[in-house]
Amino acid sequence: MLATLAQAVINGLLIGGIYALVSIGVTLIFGVVKIVNFAQGEFVMIGMYISFFLANRFGIDPLASLLISMPVLFVIGVLLQHFLIRRVLALGDMPQIFLTFALSLLLMNVGLLMFTANYRTVQTAYSEAAIHIGALYLSVAKLIAFAVAMALSGVLWLFLHATDLGKAMRAAAQNRDVAMLMGINPERVFCVAVGVSLALAGAAGSLLMPFYPAYPMVGQVFVLMAFVAVVLGTLGNVTGALIASLMMGVAESLGVQFVGADSGLIVVFVMLLATLALRPSGLFGGWSR
Amino acid sequence: MTRRLIASPAPWVGLLAAIALLLPLAISSPFAIDVFIRVLLFAFIGVAWNLMGGYAKQLSLGHAAYFGLGAYTSTILLIRFGISPWIGIVAGGMVAMLASLPIGALCFRLRGPYFAIATIATAQVLMLLFLKFRDFAWGAEGTTLPNLGDAPLMMQFDSKLAYYYLALALLAMGLAITWCIERSWMGYYLVAVGEDEDAAEAIGVDTLRIKRQIYLISAFLTALAGTFYVQYIYFIDPNVAFSFNISVEAALVSIVGGIGTLWGPVIGTVLLEATSALLQSWLGSGHGGVQLTVYSLILMAVILWRPAGLIGILTDAGARFAPASLAHAKEAPLDG
Repeated sequence: MLATLAQAVINGLLIGGIYALVSIGVTLIFGVVKIVNFAQGEFVMIGMYISFFLANRFGIDPLASLLISMPVLFVIGVLLQHFLIRRVLALGDMPQIFLTFALSLLLMNVGLLMFTANYRTVQTAYSEAAIHIGALYLSVAKLIAFAVAMALSGVLWLFLHATDLGKAMRAAAQNRDVAMLMGINPERVFCVAVGVSLALAGAAGSLLMPFYPAYPMVGQVFVLMAFVAVVLGTLGNVTGALIASLMMGVAESLGVQFVGADSGLIVVFVMLLATLALRPSGLFGGWSR
Repeated sequence: MTRRLIASPAPWVGLLAAIALLLPLAISSPFAIDVFIRVLLFAFIGVAWNLMGGYAKQLSLGHAAYFGLGAYTSTILLIRFGISPWIGIVAGGMVAMLASLPIGALCFRLRGPYFAIATIATAQVLMLLFLKFRDFAWGAEGTTLPNLGDAPLMMQFDSKLAYYYLALALLAMGLAITWCIERSWMGYYLVAVGEDEDAAEAIGVDTLRIKRQIYLISAFLTALAGTFYVQYIYFIDPNVAFSFNISVEAALVSIVGGIGTLWGPVIGTVLLEATSALLQSWLGSGHGGVQLTVYSLILMAVILWRPAGLIGILTDAGARFAPASLAHAKEAPLDG
């Protein structure tokens, strides 16, 4: 019983690392640009397909293709900000919500047309490998994904706290107008924020590929998790999103283990609704909209 | 708002009503009638969504919750208790209204995008729950509705024409309700909430109460569409009843047509469903993804270039050709 519990917690933490990459991306865009990116999951999907094709055509390991998927998605992010998001920043909620929502629908359905709904998987040497510690079973692929995800989160934290651009980004998140008065070019900061956020989604995609199938709708699972984590972790709060994502991973895993195989999402949604009812500003207090 | 567009439209509305009434008599193709029924039904769902999402700008992406509750309530009453769907359709509406109270209490704490996300979550939770309710709601397999042949008292008809007129009646009712609300104090309160919730609160509008009230009406109407739909397709399962596509299309038709306007959802549905029907007859039905690809492109184009929706094009054109006395209509800004 205790071993089952520990196993469920570990599985949850490991997948929570991936959720963290997606939710940090969502919360970063929200914090800096004040837009909720409904299409974040679709960029995970694009990251997965990039890794899938690189593995399939050129035999590149999905972990190595991280070095390609992240820059590609960074560029897509800059273009997304420059050509689409920028145009709705001055408009109301409706255009802001439905622009990225439409983008999400578009990418999913173009994905469906290009790649069909078939599940694509990549088999690597470590896909099935596992480490046994006592009664516990640790999948190597998930362990690597978790470690890289945490490392990337750490790099992002350093970037936000130790570089001028990162500090500018945090300043713009706190108060856009004052940041502009201090000589920060908001458009440049926004482009970098969206680029970094999408690069994290791409990283999540590449990290998932060794143990998770790619299909056009795959992003939905991750974006829903991310939204819940971002609300739980207090909107715009990067550390909050990270902690909340790990909690969500554990909650989902415990739900699957103890309530039933199809109950993971119910547990997650109930957590979201309970948070809204009891603590709408998130677990980590502070500001909300 | 576009109130002036429809200030003296009685002849046009009469013409439109006459066309809608006579159209199915002139066209006998079952495919076409089917498309018309879909147009009327989705326009009606759009009208119901628009009350909430358009006027009060509470951008729900979870209206499938009420569609599904309406569909399940009437079906459970019909199959388990033999109660006519005519009673079931009203009961479904009541259930949806009841459900909208706790859902609203939770979701109204949030604004903008997070309201939308919370409503997605509520519809998904209901779908997941109905997947689990095997005992009284047939779980994931769903069920077919008993085919009673031509039984008007049980809301089942041999002829598609009957369904067409029923859907038309629903749409007419939805439009009439919107028209009345638009003109009442409630309409002004809703627009005030939609424009700026804090400012509305500051001038004494009980925003929470008005949102709760419009949510009740919107949920009730959406549930009627749910009952109609399962009576029309004779089948129900959680994926049909709580389909995310219902929530999406409800919002989509309103936004494309003109959010917060009486005729916007109708115009949007006609355009989107006509596009969809054309694509289907052109490409066949085997191309999953084409329809939503086109829908999402239309939606993006509208948001970027016509945030007031297609109705804005019509009002602009109308103002250009209207006599001088009506030209002031153009001054009324259309806000999305």
